[in-house]
Amino acid sequence: MYSARPHERPTAFDRMLIPVQRWIWSDADRRVQKLLRFSETETDGGRDILRAAEVTSDPLLRRLYLEHAIDEFRHGVLFRHRAAALLKVSPCRSNSGFQGDWLTPGGHGLDDLQVDGESDSDMLAFLHLSEKAAASRFTVYRDVMQHDPPTRAVFEEILHDETFHMNYTLTQLARVEPKRHRRHLWRARLSRLWKVYLRLATGLSGILGSMLLTIQYFVLLPPFAWLAKRAARRELSGWTIVSPGGSESLDRQY
Amino acid sequence: MKNSLGEKVWMRGIISSHLGVPGRKVLFTEHHQSHAAAAFLTAPTCRAAIMTADAVGEWATLSVGDGERLANGPTTIRRFREIRFPHSLGMLYSTFTAYLGFKVNEDEYKVMGLAAYGQPTLVEQVRKLIRRTPDGAFALDLNYFEFHTTAERCYSSRFIELFGPSRNPYEPIDLDTAEGQRFADCAASVQRVLEDTLVQLARALHEETGLPDLCLGGGVALNGVANARILAESGFERVFVPPAPGDAGCAIGAALYCDRICFGNPDRDLPDHPFWGPSVDGSELARLAREDGHFVEDCYDDALIDQIADDLAADRIVGWMEGALEFGPRALGHRSILAAPHTTEMRDRLNREIKYREPFRPFAPVVPIEVAARYFDIPPGGTRLARFMSGVFPVRREWRSRLQAITHVDGTARVQVLEPAMAPRLHALLEAYGQRTGIPVLLNTSFNLAGEPIVNRAVEGYSTFLRCRIDVLVAGETRVMKRTSAMTKTPVNTLKKEVA
Repeated sequence: MYSARPHERPTAFDRMLIPVQRWIWSDADRRVQKLLRFSETETDGGRDILRAAEVTSDPLLRRLYLEHAIDEFRHGVLFRHRAAALLKVSPCRSNSGFQGDWLTPGGHGLDDLQVDGESDSDMLAFLHLSEKAAASRFTVYRDVMQHDPPTRAVFEEILHDETFHMNYTLTQLARVEPKRHRRHLWRARLSRLWKVYLRLATGLSGILGSMLLTIQYFVLLPPFAWLAKRAARRELSGWTIVSPGGSESLDRQY
Repeated sequence: MKNSLGEKVWMRGIISSHLGVPGRKVLFTEHHQSHAAAAFLTAPTCRAAIMTADAVGEWATLSVGDGERLANGPTTIRRFREIRFPHSLGMLYSTFTAYLGFKVNEDEYKVMGLAAYGQPTLVEQVRKLIRRTPDGAFALDLNYFEFHTTAERCYSSRFIELFGPSRNPYEPIDLDTAEGQRFADCAASVQRVLEDTLVQLARALHEETGLPDLCLGGGVALNGVANARILAESGFERVFVPPAPGDAGCAIGAALYCDRICFGNPDRDLPDHPFWGPSVDGSELARLAREDGHFVEDCYDDALIDQIADDLAADRIVGWMEGALEFGPRALGHRSILAAPHTTEMRDRLNREIKYREPFRPFAPVVPIEVAARYFDIPPGGTRLARFMSGVFPVRREWRSRLQAITHVDGTARVQVLEPAMAPRLHALLEAYGQRTGIPVLLNTSFNLAGEPIVNRAVEGYSTFLRCRIDVLVAGETRVMKRTSAMTKTPVNTLKKEVA
């Protein structure tokens, strides 16, 4: 099932999720939503890498980053076009339900990256791991996409670029930091782990927050909603006179 | 609610910690108060009526009032009355923006561009959505909208019943099909209703105040077609729109409001230009381009202007970076892509190879103030509106065939009329170009690619230059010409092979 090329062998974790991924990608609506999200992620990632090209003082890295960014923008277009083609065949339902990507909001995990503050070596280590993780996931996506050859072809094409990205980032990291590149990679791994924890924590707090707000919504808000609706019925449309002294105090936000 | 609890209620603390000032020193101006201050206090007028309109700020969506300032004396800004959420001209327009498959609060200008391709055949339907109230204001029929109840969708199923299915945002608009034409007609109809409503409100304000000047603020003031109609039909002699009338400009408005009104500092004139950003460094561009093996030339003053005029006359596309960055969404001559304005081929080339954008969107021209009237039908007071590209005016019929790249399908252009004092080098370039071609007009579009912000530093201009087919890049006194990839130091494909 897997390609013979070793870099395309998914990680154990990604292999474990194959049944889930197969289920996710089996539905046309979810496929469209995922592709659109990937399109945004690739484009956002492209902007980050473009920024890296603009801030680096290393001419070779600048050119490689630039080429990398152009690839990412192109991937964004590929994903978007494929989603549009799928949409044409079967218009999407408004609610696509569970998509199973709670822990991996970005295909490359480039979210929350402060490019301007990163050194070249940190950036390269980060990019290398991100590209490696993306290649692993995209291999799974490609392989579970037997029933949809055009989407599979998109992943195949992108995987080809990911290989280049994965390799050049490692080669350049070794060039920029010949003695300490392994240390940078480990630091980047820890940073990714920390971000996974943050995503987990944020996701969990989001669920808790939503639950609390929902409870409040049904328990506390009805009287206020009733009052607001009554006030809205009384509210006249048209002009509201602004009282001359009404906005004199600048100390209060509301 | 999450957004409100998560960030908005803590705004004082957030600003205080970011700026490192005590919380008690953070003051709050109302949103439309800030719009009004930005529009009035940056305009070269001492007394004017003020109208602000946007989607919503606190509760207000549109306000009218007046302002007065005395040289070295006190300043007053009064707001007489306001229209409140959910009744909003901005939200009406944004609802159509969403319906037409564009991004809300971002792509409203695309609706304006599309409108020129349609006929206002659906005006009666749009008028069902918005009715005038007996006191001269307006109210939306909320049965057609959902923006006030959910963040998911702006319009209701009744809206769909009235106008038909919405556009798939991932499909291009084909104006040769009935469906594409229907979308253009929708855009033309909402544009017409917006204009009519604004003109009537402005006319009533003119009658009420009797003032000759009107200051317009808020995101709706970015609608250049509506601004031109307000100037022509409301009775005001001059209409002032700041270079950043949208929410970005509120920062200037809030600061000026506090300075002049809250702290009571005496009035001072502000520089009448939009160049408030960082300056560009030509030597930075020279270094980058030399490192990559492109042609770099350091020319001075007249020699550079002559060289660029030659480039433009030879149909080369020029990325132009000069002095301080513009503040606001318009390219006003310091971060611009310049090109010859004469043929549709140039327009299509720019759309296809550089801006990567929808073919129905027009490009704007820039022209020296001394000769603007020869090429454009600008009414009295119009040059002021055109100073910051805030008005859309007809291209004179006899010049349209020679200004095809900047003449929109309806024969108009969002022209920038340039005074020499505002951007002297661009003015000199226009003159030099005029000497070569007989027409001192250039196509002037913002220096960015689709979906990206306007470039700021030389390195950003350079990376944009490398990613599209701009032929020549200028920053300060440095001129760079792109070599083909085969001629650059190490071609990217070779690099790819080496490192892969």
